[in-house]
Amino acid sequence: MTVSLTIENLSAHYGQTQVLKDLSISVAAGELVSLLGSSGCGKTTTLRIVAGFLAPTSGHVKLGDRDLTTLPAHARDIGLVFQNYALFPHLTVMENVAFGLKQRGISSSDRAKRATAMLERVGLAPLADRLPAALSGGQKQRVALARALVIEPPLLMFDEPLSNLDAKLRVDMRVEIRQLQKANGTTSLYVTHDQEEAFSISDRVAIMNAGRIMQLDTPEVLYQKPANAFVARFVGFENLIPMKTVARDGVIVTAEAAGGARLHLSQDAFGPIKDDFVLATRPDGLVTRGTGEGIPATLGTRTYLGRAYQYKCETAAGEITANGALSEMFEPGATAVLVPLPEQCCILDPEN
Amino acid sequence: MNKFAKWGLTLPATIAVTLLLVVPVLITIATTFGEPKGVFSTYTAFFNSGFRTNILYRTLRIALITTAISLVIGFLTAYVIAQMPGRLKSIAIIAAVFPLLTGVVVRSFAWLIILGKNGILNSSLLSLGIISEPLSMLYTEGSVIVAMVYLFVPLMILTLTGVLEGIPRDVVEASASLGARPIATFFQVILPLAVPGLIVGAVLVFTGSFTSYATPQLLGGEQMMMMGTLLYQRAMVTFDWVGASTIAAIMVVITIAVVSIMSRIARRLNPMAV
Repeated sequence: MTVSLTIENLSAHYGQTQVLKDLSISVAAGELVSLLGSSGCGKTTTLRIVAGFLAPTSGHVKLGDRDLTTLPAHARDIGLVFQNYALFPHLTVMENVAFGLKQRGISSSDRAKRATAMLERVGLAPLADRLPAALSGGQKQRVALARALVIEPPLLMFDEPLSNLDAKLRVDMRVEIRQLQKANGTTSLYVTHDQEEAFSISDRVAIMNAGRIMQLDTPEVLYQKPANAFVARFVGFENLIPMKTVARDGVIVTAEAAGGARLHLSQDAFGPIKDDFVLATRPDGLVTRGTGEGIPATLGTRTYLGRAYQYKCETAAGEITANGALSEMFEPGATAVLVPLPEQCCILDPEN
Repeated sequence: MNKFAKWGLTLPATIAVTLLLVVPVLITIATTFGEPKGVFSTYTAFFNSGFRTNILYRTLRIALITTAISLVIGFLTAYVIAQMPGRLKSIAIIAAVFPLLTGVVVRSFAWLIILGKNGILNSSLLSLGIISEPLSMLYTEGSVIVAMVYLFVPLMILTLTGVLEGIPRDVVEASASLGARPIATFFQVILPLAVPGLIVGAVLVFTGSFTSYATPQLLGGEQMMMMGTLLYQRAMVTFDWVGASTIAAIMVVITIAVVSIMSRIARRLNPMAV
């Protein structure tokens, strides 16, 4: 059974503090959507509301056409994987996995059969009689995963499931989680603060800040075409240069940065350009050149990246990081111009 | 820290416990086997006396009932306290342990005033017209149990609050997310995880009430003697030191037996418990 998850206009408060502001997300049937953001952005609050551990101030949570908003947690039928595994320490691996089946009144022989089958899928069948205390972190997380999957929930939720594991295991486990999720076709909501993890595991990612979703898109779109300055910075657009349009001639816009540097930007290449905008790039979207049209800069510290040199540059518009070709090396203190590459730049609205 | 230093640190306590507790207890027990009538003669005498075995059974009964009631009251109270927000929780814990600031004798004496013939309870019931004659509540097993529960519930609350607070919130939430109703979560998760605390609390209350002296002396009187009061009488009234030592030895054995039975039950309920 695959159903969609719909979160509509969710608001939540802790005391007087509003932690979620009119948040809406829909996760299509079988899709995995991540909530990504730094701590305090409201991602865990959202998950806790969907799970039924917190009541929203307003808004609705729907699973398929079932409205969950007022249902108690135990009646929601959601598989949950916790950051700290949250295994029952007094129960064996087998009993942990069978726990949800027991609550559903499934006979003990069926429970054992289904729990064993699930333990085999996560490769833990030989450890069925161990207590959680005798397991490694990765094994515990597999038990937690098996325990959540065995009840065949219409929705799976993950609360930073990999953050207590070491780097190598994290990568292995996320591949495993994704494979199991895809094989079962279970609609999933995944909370993490790790960008790489979110981008690698998700169909779509919601980047959150201060209780709002800043952008919900596929990892590719988020990475290449952030919709606003917050998301741009989040995905590594280090240079955000505020600019003003001073003249328009057909598709060519003449724009001025702080300090008076002028650029002629083609709307065919850069997309529509408003009167006030921010030119956002990663370091490899700005190239240092000896001459030509660009933003004049004094080059500072040079770092060798292998494929290019990277320079810290002083400009009238502030400090900018730019890359330069290996064939054209500049010494610290040299002057150069920084030329934006259209396919690596984004035109964004100014921040307020 | 090297091994010697580590053991060295426990040395003062080890010496004190050995000299002041282990040695005297062993001497006390040894004297009970030195009677001319036979090695076990004092024990056969004890168990052949209906008067004395009655006191033993009564003491066991009172101690077990007190432990059971304290477990229930203590657990429920601790369960509520453990879920309170920080500030309120401190206030509740202070309130719960406040009676411990006065001595056992004073607190037992308070029950004399409450339960006496002209005590607060009788006079209230009389003035409300619920009874026409004052009830005799003192010098019964009930009065001893009531006072002991009052004495020991704070210990139970303190022990269990710590244990219940230590149960991670996400384990309880995991149970709910897997479809367990609150009552199922309570019996399948919270209760088993509280077992270590229940055992510690039960051992504290059982040993405390099994060996109590002041409370049965004040509220039980001659009619409701317990092992503690019997021991005192043998030692200080009739100066039967061997008889008193025999009672002491029996109490030590029973206490150890009950404690080990309790930890066996604990292990069955929760394999994590010690």
